Amino acid sequence: MTLTQHVRNGWYLGAWSDEIGRTLKQRWITDIPVCFYRLPDQTVTAVEDRCPHRKYPLSLGHLDDEGTLQCDYHGYRFDGQGVCVGVAEQADRPKAALRRFPLVERDGAIWIWPGDPELADESLLPDTSWLTDPSWTHVHGVVPLKARHMLLLENLLDLTHETFLHPTSIGNAAVAATPIDVTVDGDRVGFSRRMIGIEAPPFYEKSCGLTSPVDRWQDGDFYPPGIFVLNIRVAATGTEEPDGFHMKVLYGMTPGRGNETHDFYALGRDYLIDDQELTKFQHEQQLAVMQEDVDALEAQEIMYATDPGGSAESSIKSDLAALRGRRAVAKMLAREQRAQQDARVPHSRASV
Amino acid sequence: MTSPSATAPDTRPLGSAAAGTPSGTRRGTEFEGTVTVLTRQAVADDVVSLELAASSGEPLPVWQPGAHIDVVLPTGATRQYSLCGPVGDTAHWRVAVLREPDGRGGSQWIHDHVEEGGELRVRGPRNNFPLRPATRYLFVGGGIGITPLLPMIAEADAAMAEWSLLYGGRTPSSMAFLPELEGHGERVTVRPQDKHGLLDLAGFLGDPDPSTLVYCCGPAGLIDAVEAHCADWPTGALNIERFAAAAVRQPADDTAEQPIEVELRASGTTVTVPPGLSVLKAVEQAGVPVLSSCEEGICGSCETSVLEGEVDHRDSLLTEDERAANDTMLICVSRARGGRLVLDL
Repeated sequence: MTLTQHVRNGWYLGAWSDEIGRTLKQRWITDIPVCFYRLPDQTVTAVEDRCPHRKYPLSLGHLDDEGTLQCDYHGYRFDGQGVCVGVAEQADRPKAALRRFPLVERDGAIWIWPGDPELADESLLPDTSWLTDPSWTHVHGVVPLKARHMLLLENLLDLTHETFLHPTSIGNAAVAATPIDVTVDGDRVGFSRRMIGIEAPPFYEKSCGLTSPVDRWQDGDFYPPGIFVLNIRVAATGTEEPDGFHMKVLYGMTPGRGNETHDFYALGRDYLIDDQELTKFQHEQQLAVMQEDVDALEAQEIMYATDPGGSAESSIKSDLAALRGRRAVAKMLAREQRAQQDARVPHSRASV
Repeated sequence: MTSPSATAPDTRPLGSAAAGTPSGTRRGTEFEGTVTVLTRQAVADDVVSLELAASSGEPLPVWQPGAHIDVVLPTGATRQYSLCGPVGDTAHWRVAVLREPDGRGGSQWIHDHVEEGGELRVRGPRNNFPLRPATRYLFVGGGIGITPLLPMIAEADAAMAEWSLLYGGRTPSSMAFLPELEGHGERVTVRPQDKHGLLDLAGFLGDPDPSTLVYCCGPAGLIDAVEAHCADWPTGALNIERFAAAAVRQPADDTAEQPIEVELRASGTTVTVPPGLSVLKAVEQAGVPVLSSCEEGICGSCETSVLEGEVDHRDSLLTEDERAANDTMLICVSRARGGRLVLDL
């Protein structure tokens, strides 16, 4: 598994809306430094965080009340469209413009397309209306992860790890013991696991006030290259529908710099939505589970990084969704690399 | 959307099982380690019963009817066997193993290598088949599927519940634990197929009854028949445990397996692949290096470009679109429909 290069023609979760305001925020995305900020009319904008003059990070500069961004190294100034509107050193405006990235801000999330802007297609985004639906409540955030995006992807597409890595919260024997059905729709990979008449893991016992046995459904959908949505339904055995407790988890698996990944999460539910105690409990549990994952993936990253030849891996049937996810990303990357090769100018001048 | 009918979620301590419900054993009471085989007894044709104790002498975790343990084979593979001894006994566990010549080799290894005084590596117990409280139970066991039902029957009996068992098998000599069941008199109906034919499920199960739970364990055919009979029963009334069996993809056509010719164009050689040998093995035997890993059509390591010929895809990994393109195959399991393939090897 050598994936140090990332798919760029795809939507990634770049930031939560509440992270971006009138201060400049740097976040690396697919090895590109991105500077996020809002213009005076509150529209969000994202530019490559390198001043065209000498590559100084613009996020170390400042934003004035008109939305003009100034580089604080030699004073290049850029308007809301990223066009250079002047420098202090001369009357003529330098011919310089910032690279701006296509963004979609929707339901409290800011999606970024780091690749070819011509290809950015909003219809590829998953439905996130539950993040703002008044009959739902959710918590969200982002956790730093020092491990490659692919390891997080495989973690989410093979939830049998819950049995072993999260035994005190969301995992028990039933997860690993229940096979998945895997579906593929174009580049998308989905899986479903139906656990029927099982013991309720502690998190669900407490989250739903249920006693065993329960039915627990997991339906995961991977929108390559970096979005995963998990639908969870839990109910007393035999009453799965329509009485199930419905939860959703959105993960934004956004490659950062090198083999680092931004692990965005949102956990929502459609019951007891005013129960602040329950919200607090679920958020704590979510973060505790994610920390277990982060620790595991960072340990795994070291093992992959120190085995560059890639010794053979054993695989079993429960890996199928993760392997398909891996293949989906590899195919997207191959398509992108082919397109780049086809477009390559034969005599490009090397930059100094 | 209903609110939880139990107590408010924030008033129940984490990890507390509901009192009085025989739910599965909790994690944290799991054992993982070495057990010693105290006794090995033939209890029916091709069935051995093993009595196990922790090699360290420590007590074993408690368990509930329906629980199983994983036996970890020397290959690292695990096989699950229901615990079928007395529930309260923390000194010993009993499992019964049917020799399955068509299986994946786990039961054969146990039959051929496990002796009294020998040791096994086990994990568990775990319970995916818990017995829920009811006033009346109907148990249906087929063959070795009797094992999880034995402790259930003991539990139902102790709880003074009404219960009856329908126990089927091929022949009386293939049916384990008949002597133990004799004491229950008319509650137990033993129906070996050689004398009675197929089980009379309709007569035994009767009409749906809200106070009755049905527990069934046995071969797939029996479970399918019980499921069909109970289709109109209240949801949750029927509880089944299937034996995990590896699904084997059947050849896409009904023709018997034929030898195939595989031309390895880049190497300039052609190999004949007889029935029973994979294309991967034939290629390796011809001295052509090729990557592979799982050899089960899952991982995709051995994916190879197909230049000519129609592939009979038998893997689990490729999508329908990838199969239809007929330009790639997993040579560890897939073959040819037309008897000939040209590969980019």
